[in-house]
Amino acid sequence: MQLFINIIVLASIYALIACGYVLIYRVSRVLNLAHGELMMLGAYLVLATASLFAGHPLVALGAAVLLSIVVGAMVYVFLMRKMTGEMVLAAILTTVALGILIRGVIVLVWSAQQQYPAQALNLANPSLTLVGDGHISLWSAVLVATNILVYGALFGFLRFGRWGMRMRAAGQNPLLAAQRGINLHTVYALAWGLSTLTGALAGILMALDSGVTGSMPIIALKAFPAALVGGLDSLAGGLVGALIIATAEVLLIYYVDPLLSDVVPFLVLLAMLIVRPWGLFGTREELDRV
Amino acid sequence: MSSVLLSVEKAEVVYKRAITAVQGISLSVRDGQIVALLGTNGAGKSTTLRAISGFLGLDDARVTEGAITFDGHRIENRPPHEIARRGVVLVPEREKVFQNLTVAENLAAPVPRAADKRRLEDQIYQFFPRLADLRGRVGGLLSGGERQMLAIASALMCRPRLLMIDELSLGLAPVVVQDLTRRLIMIRDQLGIAILLVEQSAAVALSISDYAYVMENGRIVLDGDRERLNSHQDVQEFYLGQSDGNGQDSTTARRSYRDVKQYRRSRRWYG
Amino acid sequence: MFRSTPRASGYYRTGYGQDLALIQTRTERISLAILVTLAIALPFIAGPFLLDLACQVFLASIGALSLMLLTGYAGQISLGHAGLIAAGAFTTGILAREIAAPFWITLPASALTGILLGLIFGLPSLRLRGLYLAVSTLALHFIVIYLGGEYETKRGFSTGILIDPPSLAGFKLTDGRAWYFVLLLAAAASLMICINLLRSSSGRAWRAVHARETVAEALGINVAGYKLLVFVISSSMTSVAGCLFAYYRGFVSIEAFDLFLSIQYVAMIIIGGMGSLLGALLGAAFVTLFPYLIESLLALLPNIQKFAGDIFAVNYTAFGVVMILFLVFEPLGLVGIWRRLQNYFLLWPFKYRPLTGARK
Ligand SMILES: Nc1ncnc2c1ncn2[C@@H]1O[C@H](COP(=O)(O)OP(=O)(O)O)[C@@H](O)[C@H]1O
Ligand SMILES: [Mg+2]
Repeated sequence: MQLFINIIVLASIYALIACGYVLIYRVSRVLNLAHGELMMLGAYLVLATASLFAGHPLVALGAAVLLSIVVGAMVYVFLMRKMTGEMVLAAILTTVALGILIRGVIVLVWSAQQQYPAQALNLANPSLTLVGDGHISLWSAVLVATNILVYGALFGFLRFGRWGMRMRAAGQNPLLAAQRGINLHTVYALAWGLSTLTGALAGILMALDSGVTGSMPIIALKAFPAALVGGLDSLAGGLVGALIIATAEVLLIYYVDPLLSDVVPFLVLLAMLIVRPWGLFGTREELDRV
Repeated sequence: MSSVLLSVEKAEVVYKRAITAVQGISLSVRDGQIVALLGTNGAGKSTTLRAISGFLGLDDARVTEGAITFDGHRIENRPPHEIARRGVVLVPEREKVFQNLTVAENLAAPVPRAADKRRLEDQIYQFFPRLADLRGRVGGLLSGGERQMLAIASALMCRPRLLMIDELSLGLAPVVVQDLTRRLIMIRDQLGIAILLVEQSAAVALSISDYAYVMENGRIVLDGDRERLNSHQDVQEFYLGQSDGNGQDSTTARRSYRDVKQYRRSRRWYG
Repeated sequence: MFRSTPRASGYYRTGYGQDLALIQTRTERISLAILVTLAIALPFIAGPFLLDLACQVFLASIGALSLMLLTGYAGQISLGHAGLIAAGAFTTGILAREIAAPFWITLPASALTGILLGLIFGLPSLRLRGLYLAVSTLALHFIVIYLGGEYETKRGFSTGILIDPPSLAGFKLTDGRAWYFVLLLAAAASLMICINLLRSSSGRAWRAVHARETVAEALGINVAGYKLLVFVISSSMTSVAGCLFAYYRGFVSIEAFDLFLSIQYVAMIIIGGMGSLLGALLGAAFVTLFPYLIESLLALLPNIQKFAGDIFAVNYTAFGVVMILFLVFEPLGLVGIWRRLQNYFLLWPFKYRPLTGARK
């Protein structure tokens, strides 16, 4: 039972992070390798807002989440906008460089030590006991719930929302979208904002659960295979991919070797790339477009 | 006479800072007018439409000289979505619909949405009843004619004042083309929209347009209203495939290279 | 020295031999002579710190040149370069540690490991392109690193493997000056290999594969073969660099080969200038020396204490900023700047003007 809960929690973490990759990739064909750092930035922003709104933990959390949307949109407006139309590699490397920059700035501002936003907010993290003697920490449970909510909202938004539809349209055929009056910059900025929002949610909830250090982006890097296994342009794929990767990881750690933790996602990824490079739910044509 | 909606004055378009595709052309479209742009492949027709609709930036091209004015505003080198919102909407030559979006979604995606969106939609389904049956089908699965209809319909959802269509009849059966041109005239009459068409087939273009321009090598070499062009000897000869100036059928009785259409056409137009 | 077009003011070649000559004009001969003299004289005038820097630049140059071959010329993106260096270093470390293998065994062994890994890294490239290829090399990087870490913990070397300095014909290589010459030679040899590969038929094939794979295939180029070839050559060179690195440091630890190292190598070829061997060298020097530059700049600031503890964070930040600046504002890299300067002086007092249309 505990194993099952661990899988669900890990899968939720990966899925919540993976949808950030998917959002940006789907709309602008850019792979955002700074996603991990943006996620970590969300967690650190809580530390900032915690001291700003001392005594109001929910306000502080909300402010951090809102800030992260702004940060994401700003990343597009001030940086990635200049990379439109450039080579794939150049755009990816720009995000890599951005990630390095964010890491450096975070250490400069908040130092490299482990920090606990939950303490700064005066929030407890009790362990809940579930049926079958399984345990789950409060914030992990919140994370699982958030994940479900986020995916539900994103599905609805992309399918029925006016701007969601425009995001899909722009992702498919940016030229035609612009011709139909859709401002691509708005759509891209929106995608970056939403992606950073989901990433920051993941980062904040993980930090509330177990604190935050500079090594948090590793988790996002491990979530990336989840996005790719599912199909980089498919939201549902992110969910399924995360479940596959998390199951493989938890089981292998438990039964084989804890050291495997860092490679399992990449082993699965490699297997997927050999068998079906476009992912479980991805579109095949993607492969030729990049 | 109705007022001038779009005017292009001595515009020059340069690709990649090196290739001049359009060399100082001037044309104008009046309110509610259907204007055709004729010419062979590579004449610069698509480039002209792209220049008007702001599509050039992505191909690394610019309007380097001249002016494009729409409804009193200069629009050359402006971003495409801005031009679209002013009411200039293009149906491109290829990739004219969103392949993975359904017909209904294709119609819902455009941005300048009218307040009376429902009414507009009904009206569009009236123009193209076929689309109403296909509402749930994704764009990529439509036939060529249906795709062209959907493209025009979704362009109409932007509430254009000037609708531009690149290669209206390309790859379509003559019956489908006839049907489309009939509907275009209906659209013009009912919605009062001006239409700028690019066509390779002079017969099609001259059957619906009020005025036409003929392009050749990035220049406008001939223009006039329907009657003038229809009776113009060069057009008859080069585009409508009728007998040549000497009363002989140009395809059979060819005696020297001087009789070859291409040669005589360039002689006559470039002096 | 790195361009294939004639460099004299006219075409004066009278035989095929002259066509093949690497050095063609007197200016080139003179500047090369000056460069060689400087390189030989340096260890006798510079202190140990400068020598160490030079050695690091040479090591990085080998890695950067091989990555340039792969990415800059053949167009195959790799984010797993650090994994290949690690493979070379670990082959050396393991062999030296387990069976006390001498230098002349570990070096070819590293090259062999590189060839093998090149095949493995290259296989996905037959199927994948662009982004997906980059991702597969990234995955392979993590797997190599995992294997190295596994070895370290299983054998109880969790802090790293110590390696004795190599001995060549009874002469122990410990002296900084000796190292300088060895690494200079290695870097020069790599450069020559790259130059010659690129002007051979394989170089042309790689460029064709880079430009348009399907067209290359249609032209009768064995695309799969040439892709594998470039992966194999590039990764064996990289592995050899790893081997030299292990000996130079006398110590191998898996921590040294994280993703950041891969990124640094990619940064070298970006900052240096894609598709230019000179760029690889410039980039290697720039990225290697950059942290020291930042450090000395910080020392000039009045309140150093504030940053003293976070020097690596300052480095990170500055590195990120520089990389972004190059990517956004100077995609041609240092070489682009260099060429522009050259053109400026060549054309002076006229200004270079880009073509704008036919009439202007
Ligand atoms: N993206 C582009 N880059 C460079 N040249 C182009 C581009 N698109 C078109 N051209 C050139 O512009 C000229 C006109 O092309 P186009 O406007 O497409 O002709 P038409 O639509 O009349 O067939 C052609 O000579 C073509 O080579
Ligand atoms: Mg055309």
